[in-house]
Amino acid sequence: MAINRYTKMAYGSADEMIFGKSKFPVKAGLGLEIGGGYTTPEVNYAPRPEAGASKEKLVKEYQRITTDIMNRMVQVGFPAVVLETEHVEQMTNNPTWGGEVAHAQKTIMEEFHDEYGIKCALRHTPGDIREDRDFLELRGDKFNTLMESFEEVASNGADLLSIETMGGKEVFDYSILRNDVPGMLYAIGCLGTMDMDFIWQEIASVAKKNNVVAAGDTDCSEANTAMFIAGGLLDKNLAHTLAIIARAISAPRSLAAYEAGAVGPGKDCGYENTIVKSIAGVPIAQEGKSSTCAHSDVMGNLVMQCCDLWSNESVEYHAEFGGTSVQCWSESLAYDCALMNTATATGKAKDLRDLFTLSDKYRDPQGYVLAYDNAYRVGEAIVKDGNDIYLRAKNAALKSIEIMEEGVAGKLELTRFEKGALADAKAALGALTDDQDTFMSDCMSKYKEEVKVFLPENYGL
Amino acid sequence: MTSLDIDPSEILVRYNVKMEKAMTPEDAAAELYPKDELYRPIAEAIFEGEEDDVIEGLEKAIDAGKNPIALIDDALMVGMKVVTDLYDQGVIFLPNVMMSADAMLDGIDFCKEQSDEAPVSKGKVVCHVAEGDVHDIGKTIVAALLRANGYEVVDLGRDVPVDEVIEAVKAEKPIMLTGTALMTTTMYAFKAVNDRLLEAGLKVPFACGGGAVNQDFVTTYELGVYGEEAADAPKMADKIVAGAGISALKEEFHKH
Ligand code: B12
Repeated sequence: MAINRYTKMAYGSADEMIFGKSKFPVKAGLGLEIGGGYTTPEVNYAPRPEAGASKEKLVKEYQRITTDIMNRMVQVGFPAVVLETEHVEQMTNNPTWGGEVAHAQKTIMEEFHDEYGIKCALRHTPGDIREDRDFLELRGDKFNTLMESFEEVASNGADLLSIETMGGKEVFDYSILRNDVPGMLYAIGCLGTMDMDFIWQEIASVAKKNNVVAAGDTDCSEANTAMFIAGGLLDKNLAHTLAIIARAISAPRSLAAYEAGAVGPGKDCGYENTIVKSIAGVPIAQEGKSSTCAHSDVMGNLVMQCCDLWSNESVEYHAEFGGTSVQCWSESLAYDCALMNTATATGKAKDLRDLFTLSDKYRDPQGYVLAYDNAYRVGEAIVKDGNDIYLRAKNAALKSIEIMEEGVAGKLELTRFEKGALADAKAALGALTDDQDTFMSDCMSKYKEEVKVFLPENYGL
Repeated sequence: MTSLDIDPSEILVRYNVKMEKAMTPEDAAAELYPKDELYRPIAEAIFEGEEDDVIEGLEKAIDAGKNPIALIDDALMVGMKVVTDLYDQGVIFLPNVMMSADAMLDGIDFCKEQSDEAPVSKGKVVCHVAEGDVHDIGKTIVAALLRANGYEVVDLGRDVPVDEVIEAVKAEKPIMLTGTALMTTTMYAFKAVNDRLLEAGLKVPFACGGGAVNQDFVTTYELGVYGEEAADAPKMADKIVAGAGISALKEEFHKH
């Protein structure tokens, strides 16, 4: 499949963007239309560690999880649900395991669909196993195993195919701990995008062949690493102003999946997805206030603003007072969706969207830039140079800086430290060339020397 | 955006802005630099994370007759302590520590090249990420902070098989072993490491941390000491050097 870069916005204005609706809805699974006018919970889970001991135990564990969720959905009267299975490593490394799990889950979902008419779909997310102990190994034998895994899940019941790819991570891990913004730009914007182009064309063909949906990716391995290192307000490991610059740079990188044939819904932990939706018009999954089982969040309400699927990121399967963990969290998600869908039905969706956004917009610079009105502007900066993967990523970074500077002049309070990091980042970006080739070759020599695990052949370089 | 807007101060508190210290990092550092005019530029260069200036300062000091190996403790470590103290106080952030540590390590290499003597470190620590787990950023931070505090670190990397951990402990005889795990599926390797160490009669404190690991879990094995933040690792090592045993470490670092 070919790469078609985005050079235009999907929406005429930020205000057109809303939860539950996307420009290009996606039909998937058993009767679902994602982004077709309603939001749907997407439940994520992890098996108990003991369950990984054998294939039989794993399949059994996922059967229990699936049955529990489906039961709770019908018990409380929810119309639709998506299940996401993020593979544990054994399931991707042994492709038939993933396939058997998908088959077992889908069989149960079909029974519920047949009996109650509940709309549902199954997403499978193989792990990005393309690495050796010390090095990334993006192309080669492991890539082939990964593709077999996609083939197995797609032919055995998975409706939506996703992955969290890691291209650029070796350079990113090095630069993020050194406040090196050009390094982040090279890692995510250039290397990351190149790997996305490579792998997503392949995933899109597997999806096409099996008549399922190539859904999308997330820059978990980089932008979320930055977000987690940045942590809460009082953590001292990374300026939150830098974490959001990494996030802005990740938007054109995650966009590349749709340029290579994916159609959405984007993955839940891609906090860059509001920007991506503004450009590509694809439906997106998001997570926030109802994924505190998996991580703490400084923009938990805000990220609901334009979601189509609403996720809990992940929870280990075990007992809680209210049932099993997957039942408790799926119910919370589904109630959130019921509220959003009520707002849509009563013509109040834009008000609710703005309440979500406003409640976190000034909590942290990350939320400020991702607020849909600002996210839209980052999108415009990306499509302006949509055909140049370097320039568009640089534009995204610079636009996020401009937005924060405006914010500081208004209601966004930053510490002196965060402002200092912002000013340094601006200066570092300002000193960069506009020429992709020059930038790429400068970075190649610099990081080959400084990052010993960086292997250019991973990117066909 | 619709016409809605808010006064954020009614719904959230930017505690970081509220609590930020009045003093700038540069001012705070200036108060801590050594007074000696040969050492001070070296300490400043470490604070700034400028390798070249560190080497230049060392050259000047050596030309003036200072012993290269003594300079490691007298200038490089003193400069680095300014950085780690300010990090502990919340005045500066981790990337500054990382860049300063890189500059300090270059300086140590330079001093070693200038001399035939070998420096004595505060102690050796072996760091690793649990078998099956590739999440290594926390471990990288732990290793950097240990080095920044003058410890020699043997970094085994990520996804390290239990056998390899045991071999390394036998070979290196560290004062402490650290383990990082971010997955509930991988942290059980720590128990295996603990049992194998005990079998081999190696009663070395085994500091364990990382996203998935919690105090309750670490308490279930004898050598384990739970560490919540990377900055706890050098503090634990300092206690060990000062004579603390495993139960004293548990007493101090098990906060929950
Ligand atoms: C970044 C990330 C990744 C990156 C890792 C990049 C890297 N080089 O490390 C990538 C993309 C590679 C990745 C891959 C996977 N990931 Co991941 N990842 C994360 C994420 C988002 C952040 C982790 C992080 O870096 N945090 C920041 C660091 C600094 O924190 P830290 O390591 O905990 O360290 C701090 C402290 O704990 C302490 N510390 C650490 N060690 C020690 C030691 C001592 C002695 C002391 C004192 C202190 C200490 O110091 C640090 C700072 O103070 C988490 C989300 C989360 N909620 O944690 C998921 C998460 C850990 N990943 C998860 C999963 C499932 C995976 C995958 C299996 C996904 C998949 N399907 O492929 C693979 C795993 C592959 C493998 N075999 O390991 C799950 C684990 C769930 C579980 N089973 O427990 C998590 C929790 C996400 C989730 N909610 O589902 N991931």
